[in-house]
Amino acid sequence: MYNPIPSSLQRRAFLSELGMGFGSIALAAMLQNDAQGQGNPSLEDAALNFAPKAKSVIWLFMIGGASHMETFDPKPALNRFAGKTIEETPLANVLQSPFLENERVVAFDPNNGFIRKEIFPLQVGFRPRGESGLEISDWLPHLGDCADDLCVVRSMWTEDSNHGAQLQFHTGRHRVDGFFPTIGAWANYGLGSLNNELPSFVVMGQPVADCCGGRECHRANYLGPKFDGIPLDLEGETPLAYAKPPTDVLPAEQAGEFELLRQLSSVAARQYPDDEQLRARIQAYELAYRMQTAVPEVVDLQDESATTRQLYGVDDKETSRFGRQMLTARRLVERGVRFVQVYHGSNGGAGQWDSHKGLKAGHSKLCRQIDRPVAGLLKDLKQRGLLDETLVVWATEFGRTPGSQHSDGRDHHPFGFSIWMAGGGVRGGIAHGATDELGFHAVENRHYVTDVHATVLHLLGLNPRTLSLPGRKRLDKEFGHVIHPIIA
Amino acid sequence: MSQPRVYPRSIMGVHVASAVSLCLSIILSCPQAAAEDVNYEQNIQPLLAEKCIACHGAVRQEAGLRLDHGKWIREGGDSGNILERNTGSDADPAQASILLERVSTDDASMRMPPEGEGLPLTAEQISWLSAWISAGAPSPEDEPMPVRPDEHWAFQPPEQVELADFQIDGHGQNATVASNPVDILLLAKLQAAGIRPLQAAEPRTRLRRLYYDLIGLPPTVQQQSAFEADPSPAAWLETVDRLLADPRYGERWARHWMDVWRYSDWDGYKDQVRGSQPHIWRWRDWIIESLNAGKGYDRMLTEMLAGDEIAPQDPDVLRATGFLARNYHHSNRNIWLDATVEHTAKAFLGLTINCAKCHDHKYDPINQEEYYAFRAIFEPHQIRVDRVPGEADTKKAGIPRAYDADLDAATYVFLGGDEKNPQQDHAIAPASPSILNLPFSVQEVTLPDAAAFPALRDFVQREEIHAAEQKLAQARSNALTMQGKESQPAQLELEIAEQQICVAEAELVSLRTRWSADKLLHAKRAPSTPQASLDAAKAAAVAAEQNERIQQAVLAVLQKQNALTTAEAALASVPSADPQATAESTPSETQRKAVEQAGKDLEQALAKLTEARKPLSEDASYRPVGEAFPKRSSGRRLALARWITDARNPLTARVAVNYIWMHHFGEPLVANVFDFGLRSAEPVHRELLDWLAVELMRHDWNLKHIHRLLVTSQAYQRASSSQPAEQMATAKQVDPDNRLLWRMPVRRLDAEVIRDSILFVADSLDSRLGGPEIDFHEGEKNYRRSIYFQHAYEKQMPMLVIFDAAAPNECYRRSQSIVPQQALALSNSQLALDQSRILASRMVSDLQAVADSPLEESRRFIQTAFEILLNRKCSPEEQQLCLRFLEQQAAMLGSATLSPSQDQENQHTAAAEDPNLRARANLVHTLMNHNDFVSLR
Repeated sequence: MYNPIPSSLQRRAFLSELGMGFGSIALAAMLQNDAQGQGNPSLEDAALNFAPKAKSVIWLFMIGGASHMETFDPKPALNRFAGKTIEETPLANVLQSPFLENERVVAFDPNNGFIRKEIFPLQVGFRPRGESGLEISDWLPHLGDCADDLCVVRSMWTEDSNHGAQLQFHTGRHRVDGFFPTIGAWANYGLGSLNNELPSFVVMGQPVADCCGGRECHRANYLGPKFDGIPLDLEGETPLAYAKPPTDVLPAEQAGEFELLRQLSSVAARQYPDDEQLRARIQAYELAYRMQTAVPEVVDLQDESATTRQLYGVDDKETSRFGRQMLTARRLVERGVRFVQVYHGSNGGAGQWDSHKGLKAGHSKLCRQIDRPVAGLLKDLKQRGLLDETLVVWATEFGRTPGSQHSDGRDHHPFGFSIWMAGGGVRGGIAHGATDELGFHAVENRHYVTDVHATVLHLLGLNPRTLSLPGRKRLDKEFGHVIHPIIA
Repeated sequence: MSQPRVYPRSIMGVHVASAVSLCLSIILSCPQAAAEDVNYEQNIQPLLAEKCIACHGAVRQEAGLRLDHGKWIREGGDSGNILERNTGSDADPAQASILLERVSTDDASMRMPPEGEGLPLTAEQISWLSAWISAGAPSPEDEPMPVRPDEHWAFQPPEQVELADFQIDGHGQNATVASNPVDILLLAKLQAAGIRPLQAAEPRTRLRRLYYDLIGLPPTVQQQSAFEADPSPAAWLETVDRLLADPRYGERWARHWMDVWRYSDWDGYKDQVRGSQPHIWRWRDWIIESLNAGKGYDRMLTEMLAGDEIAPQDPDVLRATGFLARNYHHSNRNIWLDATVEHTAKAFLGLTINCAKCHDHKYDPINQEEYYAFRAIFEPHQIRVDRVPGEADTKKAGIPRAYDADLDAATYVFLGGDEKNPQQDHAIAPASPSILNLPFSVQEVTLPDAAAFPALRDFVQREEIHAAEQKLAQARSNALTMQGKESQPAQLELEIAEQQICVAEAELVSLRTRWSADKLLHAKRAPSTPQASLDAAKAAAVAAEQNERIQQAVLAVLQKQNALTTAEAALASVPSADPQATAESTPSETQRKAVEQAGKDLEQALAKLTEARKPLSEDASYRPVGEAFPKRSSGRRLALARWITDARNPLTARVAVNYIWMHHFGEPLVANVFDFGLRSAEPVHRELLDWLAVELMRHDWNLKHIHRLLVTSQAYQRASSSQPAEQMATAKQVDPDNRLLWRMPVRRLDAEVIRDSILFVADSLDSRLGGPEIDFHEGEKNYRRSIYFQHAYEKQMPMLVIFDAAAPNECYRRSQSIVPQQALALSNSQLALDQSRILASRMVSDLQAVADSPLEESRRFIQTAFEILLNRKCSPEEQQLCLRFLEQQAAMLGSATLSPSQDQENQHTAAAEDPNLRARANLVHTLMNHNDFVSLR
């Protein structure tokens, strides 16, 4: 059986035994959390200046660029000006904005990544939801039920006008700059694990395609592979690479081997009492052995009630895939996994949300795939009392143009778009920041992508500015700024 | 300083709107520093070094201010004293300090460090400064003056110290030392520190270490026994020489250098090449072969940078320029060239020139223009794929290589590093960084004809003409076959066959004539060759090619005619119309349309024939037999290679020996292997590093010479621990980090070595050398060495990635992580299971003959398994544990229902049904998971 929060004594022993498995900050974080758990706040360590509000993060990423105007940022002006060019509207000056300078391209793409000037009307209606009256698209009715828990940030901007922005959203650096640690890796590095039988940074869903950053969107890069996100595959034969022995190995046979290994390792440990690598390897084998049971157990949804399965849409064809991922995400954070990153809409290329044409058909379908599962996740976390300590983030690499492309789609739009957060210490039922009347530029409380990172780390109790590795200079933009007004 | 001082929140880098709890935590976490707690060397100097000295230090002195020495801090800069103002003698100097004001002001335009140059100081750091200034800004009297950039240790030429000057006391084992310079220099430091190094490791431990370090595979049981029987220095030396001559040495060390030189197979989506190049494995094979041949490191670097300029006709050498081809980037030339600049400088020079792309280097004396001057060296070059004998299609085979495509390509400084802002009023000339002050002289290289016009290479003409001849012969034989047929084909078909012969003949003639003309045009010719003969050859080529076109057009006409005849016949044979069918869909309507189309096609073919027959204009040209490239190369890259390998270059040899040292001793002598700039402090073992660097250059840059020197030292052969552990107590106390090398550190094997070893111990390793890269998905089924598998972005064997294989994009030094996924990979991979079963079966059949009793057999099995897998004998305690395991495991397996493996089609080795054999396979598998299997002690 798993033990979600081992006693601080155990954990301390575990970490100091492990020796090299965690950075010193992680160790400090663990001890810190223990201390807090005992009601004895101690704020000595530089990395932990803030009392954590969230223990875990569930990070949902829509691949391809979800339209902000058809999800969380209604712009009735688009209907008013439909068919006109931007120049013909009173808002023509968006085309002169200095913000346009922020755009950086990897390589010129003759087809996509242009400012489309002919205003394309909204493809869906909006209505105020919940007590807060937060406006949410009619394509997301279930999520509308959770309006009072959502904190929408409507003033995001990024640089890459092509899908390298997927990488940029996770590292804070433009694709041309190369690969850097991702937000999940920093959280993992800063906090370490709350669980000794599961990896602390888990990834689900088909990852970003290699055009757009690939698996670098959940890797740790220079922090080292031990902080990489570990993919759990809910579709394939085994959820984790090498997670269980081939079928012709008997459980008792393997147990015998592990027991012999443990005995031989003890002999070695007595002979080499100062060999830290040996000790770390012994620990790694113990964790590995437990993971073999814990990983299949966590992805096995059999013991979830019919009500719960229904809540997530697990048994409905359209919502089954994402529903199972959401339900598994809840099971993971319940067991103390720190960071769960879930991709939606990967298609081996730019991503399904990339609606250059047929936006109405495409987005309405994709919204149906995520609506019930994400709402189910929020409701379920809430009813189990987990929403307060679990931060859910919904994001995408950029928004879409107010103007039309191919008559019924929208192009890439890095100048203004929306994301939302819920639970984990953020205020609910609010929209923070704003785009202009056309949804073109983020104009009020503008936030670059790393402001989301800074906020996430802050809510986890980390000071993002202290997260760095000697010899690896981080740019100011990589740290971002905490979005304080949205914190409860 | 007993009164806590309240700072404006903005000083602390915290948003003003922060919540109350936040402020509380900051106040709690940032106690005021008291003067007595603040130390110049511990607090102030490192703080200023991190935040300020990039602009106020040795390289730059903005505002005439230097903050890298106490004396200069107190002196101040252009604006005078920065520590106090003349506001009255009773004021606390810290209250009025310009320095404090500038680091703590709310005004972002005034605050230091400036926006984008570094994070603001924390409240705690400000309190240190404040306390220090209040205390009168004291600094030690003997604070050393910072060196001038050009005095930095790594920029001075290395020299060999006089070894005779080092007196090594003759106690214990050291009495016999003093022959190997490595030992002399290390022992001098150890003795000065009062540390006695550990004894030599056990023979088997040493032998395992040597085998793995030199060939990446363990010694066999026989090799272990032989060395244990005679562990003399002579036997050691013999083994060293044998392993250095082993072709597997090249495979082992190629992988190390491939990390540094950024080897990557091509990557991309489906067939689109996005990075590196197809066939780049030829460069990998060149690395392996060059290392095995003992090619000088200087020559290797020169061939990689400028192989096309020093040996433009030698395909073996051209492979080396894969070093440049690897940087290819499909979407953006700037990314491509930036990578070339960055990694050439890091890999060969240990210089981070890349830091000067957007602005002058913060720490090293390299300005932004020098970055672009370095880039200008590479500006003219491009990549092409050379055809190789036996394959005309360069998609299927070839040599990706560098060449200068545009000798006039200009380089401009990009303002702020932004490619949208080139400073086009001033083109940058190629140059090497000025700090090393060595001549960099560029001389254009005139290329041989066949390098500029590769079709002139004999085999190309031979193969092309041969192919045309084959086509002609085929056409003739087809026509003959047709004529000999019993049922006479239609006249038109015979005519087509005849015409195909004419086409093939015309093509052959055209090819030969064009070849003659191209030879005259592109090959060296006597200066007396009259223009008339050139013109004649050209005219002949034009005419032959016209004839080729005419014959092809005639063939097309015949074929279309035939098609029309067939269509007409089909129409004629259609049965009378079905009255029910609509007009558009009747069979006859379909056929009628087909006839109509065939008629149109014929007309077009006839028109083409008329066109082909038209007389050509005077200046008509012909299709050349191959692509022409510039006849000259800029010589810039060769100049760079000469500059890098100049014996006066202080960096190149040091950087190289540092890598070799790292792979033999675990830790490099200079910690940051790719940065020997000002941030790299003088290493503890500088004399040793310099000695080795000079030694490398004096011995023709022969890498094997350095290997031999290192591995024959006593330092290399030392134990990693001693029994009893108390022997290490002093050393551990004085030098806990083993900086003086009193012991050998324990190392984990590299990813590739682990996989190769699993295969090797079971005798399964396929030891063939070289060849195209193998699909990474095949890693558990194909038993070639790991170096031959795909190694590219998103195309790497998962098992290798789990064990910290090099990231294809950059990996100057691998990490040696220990994570549970590694445990899962070794315990659950089919590879490890299969090889355990294979090895156990082989051992059982080998031992059956010699063992007298089952117990004896078990004992021998255990002993041999330890020797094969861990290269050591097992202790009595271990043997007891293993014996009990074999017994219990066999009993357990005997009582279980063992079904044979189902998975036959995947070539897996089935688990044994005999419980005893299966228990033995389990034991082998357990030892593969033993710490000692993946470690070098």
